[in-house]
Amino acid sequence: MEESKYVGKSTVRIDGKAKISGAAKFIEDIDFGADLLYAEVVESKFAHAIINSIDTSEAEKFPGVVKVVTGKEFPYRFGLYMHDRYIFAQDRVRFVGEQIAAVIARTPAAARKAAKLVKVDYTELPNVLNVEDALKKDTFLLHPELGNYQHVPWFFPKPDTNISHLRKVRKGDAEKAFKEADFVFEDTYTVPRYAHCAIEVHGTIGLFDNSERLTVWTASQSPYTQRHLFAEALSPLGLTHKDVRVITPFVGGGFGGKAGVSMEIIGAALATTVKGRPVKVLWSRAQEFYNTYQRQGLTCRIKVGVNKDGKIIAMDNTLYWDAGAYVEYGANVVNAAGLSASGPYNIPNVKIDSYCVYTNLPPGGPYRGFGYSEFLFGLESHMNEIAKNINIDPVQFRRINAIREGDILNYGGKMNPNGLIEAIDKVAEAIDWGKKEYSDDPNKAIGKGIALFWKAPAMPPNASSSAFLKFNEDASLNIMISGMEIGQGLLTVMAQIAAEVLSVPPEKIRVETPDTDRNPYEWQTVASHVTWGCGRAVERAAIDAREQIFDLIERALGKERSSLYLQDECVKSKKDIEFSLPLKDFIINGIMKEDGTYRGGPIIGRGMFMPEFSSALSDPETSQGGKPNVHYTVGASAIKIEIDRQTGKMTIPKAVLAIDVGRALNPNLIKGQITGGLLQGIATVLYEDMRYSDKGKLLNASFSDYKIPTAMDIPAEVVSIIIETPQPDGPSGARGMGEHTMIPAAPMIANAVEDALGIRIKSMPVTAEKIALSMINENIKADIINS
Amino acid sequence: MSENQFDYVKPKFLNEALDIISKSVNPFILAGGTDLIDMIKEGIVQPDMVVDLKGIEQFNQITFKNDILTIGAGVTFSQLIVSKVIKDNFPIIAELSRTVASVGIRNRATMIGNICSAVPCMDSGPLLTSYEAMIILAGPKGERKVSAENWFINSRKTAIEKGEIVTGISIPYPGKHAGCFVKLGRYEGEDLAQVNLVILALSDGNFRVSFGSVAPVPVRAKKIENLINGKTISHTLIEDAFNIIEEEIKPITDIRASKEYRMHMAKIMFERGLNAALSRLNGAGPEYGISVI
Repeated sequence: MEESKYVGKSTVRIDGKAKISGAAKFIEDIDFGADLLYAEVVESKFAHAIINSIDTSEAEKFPGVVKVVTGKEFPYRFGLYMHDRYIFAQDRVRFVGEQIAAVIARTPAAARKAAKLVKVDYTELPNVLNVEDALKKDTFLLHPELGNYQHVPWFFPKPDTNISHLRKVRKGDAEKAFKEADFVFEDTYTVPRYAHCAIEVHGTIGLFDNSERLTVWTASQSPYTQRHLFAEALSPLGLTHKDVRVITPFVGGGFGGKAGVSMEIIGAALATTVKGRPVKVLWSRAQEFYNTYQRQGLTCRIKVGVNKDGKIIAMDNTLYWDAGAYVEYGANVVNAAGLSASGPYNIPNVKIDSYCVYTNLPPGGPYRGFGYSEFLFGLESHMNEIAKNINIDPVQFRRINAIREGDILNYGGKMNPNGLIEAIDKVAEAIDWGKKEYSDDPNKAIGKGIALFWKAPAMPPNASSSAFLKFNEDASLNIMISGMEIGQGLLTVMAQIAAEVLSVPPEKIRVETPDTDRNPYEWQTVASHVTWGCGRAVERAAIDAREQIFDLIERALGKERSSLYLQDECVKSKKDIEFSLPLKDFIINGIMKEDGTYRGGPIIGRGMFMPEFSSALSDPETSQGGKPNVHYTVGASAIKIEIDRQTGKMTIPKAVLAIDVGRALNPNLIKGQITGGLLQGIATVLYEDMRYSDKGKLLNASFSDYKIPTAMDIPAEVVSIIIETPQPDGPSGARGMGEHTMIPAAPMIANAVEDALGIRIKSMPVTAEKIALSMINENIKADIINS
Repeated sequence: MSENQFDYVKPKFLNEALDIISKSVNPFILAGGTDLIDMIKEGIVQPDMVVDLKGIEQFNQITFKNDILTIGAGVTFSQLIVSKVIKDNFPIIAELSRTVASVGIRNRATMIGNICSAVPCMDSGPLLTSYEAMIILAGPKGERKVSAENWFINSRKTAIEKGEIVTGISIPYPGKHAGCFVKLGRYEGEDLAQVNLVILALSDGNFRVSFGSVAPVPVRAKKIENLINGKTISHTLIEDAFNIIEEEIKPITDIRASKEYRMHMAKIMFERGLNAALSRLNGAGPEYGISVI
């Protein structure tokens, strides 16, 4: 590995001071002055109904109300990957809480009161609240128009059904292999819906000024995608991309929930109805739960064929996703999971069917892990069951089958360089695998669990990043990107990458949050790809600036170009040891020649990155042919839990996670991701889940009954293990790792519970209650057998 | 942020507060406000007048005189946690108070507010029935006292009458004793009890046992007390008590827990709480504040 000065070091966050001092602005901190208007949304009471009429007359008369807007004003379909939703419901509502209309008023209170005066006349339709009902032959269709929806070429909707996309993978001959296998194991695992629970709720402010340009401030992971969708959805009003500007200040947590466009479209659209005045839409905590993207529910039917020697020869994994009322983003979760649902194993014969199913629940969408947490729960639980049944140690079983560099992926390409075996061995060692432990408390049992993970960025093949970089007089730098700082430390790492190329220390580099008028294009900050993609763009921008510097030195001073290099903010020459020209002496004002004229001028770098080797085109029946995934990041995780046999309550003395990040650009930030990701994952398995009434209403839209962990719930010890097998196309060899740290949590806990108590829990979450009641049932069964 | 408008007063004297209440159409009393403000925000109640008791100085006191502990209507859970009188004589009150909500809420919320809201999952209910506390009320007809046993009538319904204010609670000291408060939550962070339980072990060999969150009102389990009073606690005795628990409490299934788990946990909590209370009485056992589940 090359010697590096800034990359690979735990540089302190460059946005730390702004955040600690309170200087960092979030959407709610921005003052829009006395003209600011407030919007309150009128929501559907029903999960599925026809809207017969909307009477806004009472609301319009309410003091302080400026305007009431309904779907009539915006009869346009839009969406990220499939145009299947509207800004406001048109003639039909498809989930409880769906926006039907909005009241714009001078105060939030007036807007709220008036919204209650909007009368909606409904005719209820049959509710389709789960996948099973949605797939019945005589089911009610949620989207009769499905066949006409515009969508990306890698989606395969089934018109006249509730299946909005089906991803099929066929590799080898699974059917034949099952017949040949020594053993076949089949089971079903279920995962409920989850909420992101970012501490900052969604908010947006739109301003359509008198010159008819639309500026939208959003709490977002995706300013450019939002600009594109706003421009596209509102194009009938005559808006073009240049007329739309999205400004995204710091974000108080994203986790996928602030990717794409959800409620932000409401602020953008409403602004166009009150020209000249900003209008704000701010979600309440309850709305944050029921009207943004949710993590989709999953029923996973998995069948694995294995030989006596422990080698897996066939897998059939059928995934049924409860994708909700609109799937414009969620169908891509289904797609990504479908392509990878074999997990990080080298299996010669694979059949996967991943069904995206419409239901009358809130829209599913991106959530950290993008479908991988969900299928890994079943897959990695099942791997343990198989190992147990064929009498092979679960770690050994995984070592036998783990994917290695060059192995053939489900869609035909080759697996990238990776340190999966190293990860397995290191977590096994760190958790003292194979050593049975006993609690001092006779009521308690100790169990250990392991799970492997992999994940690829799910992105269009042409998802691009770009960067501008400009020098200041003192050779400090401003970098403009549109990758979002969402807590992961992107700004710092981008500064480190530029610092390495330009020899300017990170503390002299400022990286801005995006404004689409000023900062160049970034697809989205999702898919754990920005360090990789945006990092490459920044690296190229820095190289571009460096090359301009060398050009200038050669041109102005006659130094041999190939001998030049940068060190300690100076240009130096390998051929002239005495030569050392500080950047600040020329970087803006150029170099003076003997005649008093100057050469040069402000140095500005630009960089762009698109993975030109990627393709989403493949055979729809087999998925063979394309290269949809740019790389997989792999790892292993293990946990030790202590369970109270009577109460089912668990504590976590130790959790270990090893991940192959390619190159750790900032080890401390990676450790932060590992600790935070593990905790988020542990919460989904121990405490969280979304509960719905039989009418499709979310019952726990608050932190009173949707529990996320507190400081008192964190594992006693988290061991972070960083593995570095370089990614050839990554900046300094780095690859994505942000989402991955949460995805092994659920199965490894379920496996640890099984290890401790002999109970296999096949539905998430794995709560104390579920464990205690299972223990009682086991005892009853044992009593019956004994008697 | 509320859509409801109301008048707000913060009187300095009880009489003033009583007077305002008698003249209002739909007055609500604010002690900590941690329940009331939410209910106003959500439109569950629509007061025309909110009377804040925090200005009445006498309400902010904890006193222990003639073997009677008096907790004023303005005393917060945080005050109960740090009070020396309570630590020395009623440590279970501090143990319980530490489990109520979070630090920020405890700095505002009061025990009197807790028993006036009287939701089934409140933590203070079983404490007061176990200690045979009296609720002290002031009203247009003067002062009266209601036993904790008679205070809780139904979910969110108490014996308070129109025009009355709860001024405090009096708790008689039952002689040297120990206790244990056990609370079932879904995680280690703050939670509303799915089951809670107060067990007092008195030095005369008798016990007091009350369950909360397993019925509309706190359940003083006298049948269990009769079973175990004066007895040496044995495995058989505990098993017998389990059978009685099945009769005495009626937990429901809701979003927080199933009735099966609540019933199961009520038994586990009873057994462990009883053992802890007895050990504490003998100067051993887990320190107050350490959960036995």
